[in-house]
Amino acid sequence: MIVPTNVVLGLSAILFGIGVFGFLARRNVILMLVSIEVMLNAINVSLVGFSQHFENPHGQIMALFVIAVAAAEAGIGLGLVIALNRNKPGVRVGDLTELKW
Amino acid sequence: MTLLTATFYYMATASVVSALLAVTRRNPLHSLLWVLALFGHVAGIFLLLEAEFLAVVQVVVYAGAILIFYLFVMMLLDLSDEDTRPRFGNHWPFAAGAGLLFVAIAFIAQLERSNMVGIRGTPSGEGPLQGSLEGIGLALFGPFALPFEMVSLVLLAAIVGAVVLAQRRVPRP
Repeated sequence: MIVPTNVVLGLSAILFGIGVFGFLARRNVILMLVSIEVMLNAINVSLVGFSQHFENPHGQIMALFVIAVAAAEAGIGLGLVIALNRNKPGVRVGDLTELKW
Repeated sequence: MTLLTATFYYMATASVVSALLAVTRRNPLHSLLWVLALFGHVAGIFLLLEAEFLAVVQVVVYAGAILIFYLFVMMLLDLSDEDTRPRFGNHWPFAAGAGLLFVAIAFIAQLERSNMVGIRGTPSGEGPLQGSLEGIGLALFGPFALPFEMVSLVLLAAIVGAVVLAQRRVPRP
């Protein structure tokens, strides 16, 4: 083991915190989605750390599923962004005050 | 400190720095390029943690497909006034507080279980992970076959959903 598992988990926690900040603070829809990707990456880091700690490849399979869900989330999210942009140009969440136009 | 440990700490520092830059840059394109740097460094961390297959998937799927998708969508939209408008909402100190609170809780939770000596999971029975690709393949098509198929259904639903959401609706004549 190169580093203790605690270090890996700490790195994962810091990356997740950065993603939380980005998601809550940014006003651009696309960058909010990117912050979600940062959070999912942090989860993957911790899953791989656990997989190495327990010497069990199942953690890496969970990380693989997380990557698949991230791909699905990117597709749906960006489809929503394009649909919203067609109704009302711009990507600011503050402008999206109505559900229907 | 061996060379590998030093490499890990470099990767960790660089990924934290690029994540911070990614969520704070004003230009969305610069943000996405910093996210690319983050993905590359996380792939390096996966390599150091003996997850070679995930490192390759990280580079191919995350950096190669998902990030390019984000870049294309961003270039499709007109973001010319992005530089002049505030990048954060007025509530950003609360957002920073929420992020810091999460990190603090995670660290306190780790202090409770200092260096995880007592925790033992079910080992795979093959000793240390080596050549993890074989183990992943066997597990993916053995005990994880049903979840694997369900993930393919999730991806199919996402494809159909993205097409339905993004299509242009023309009124029937």
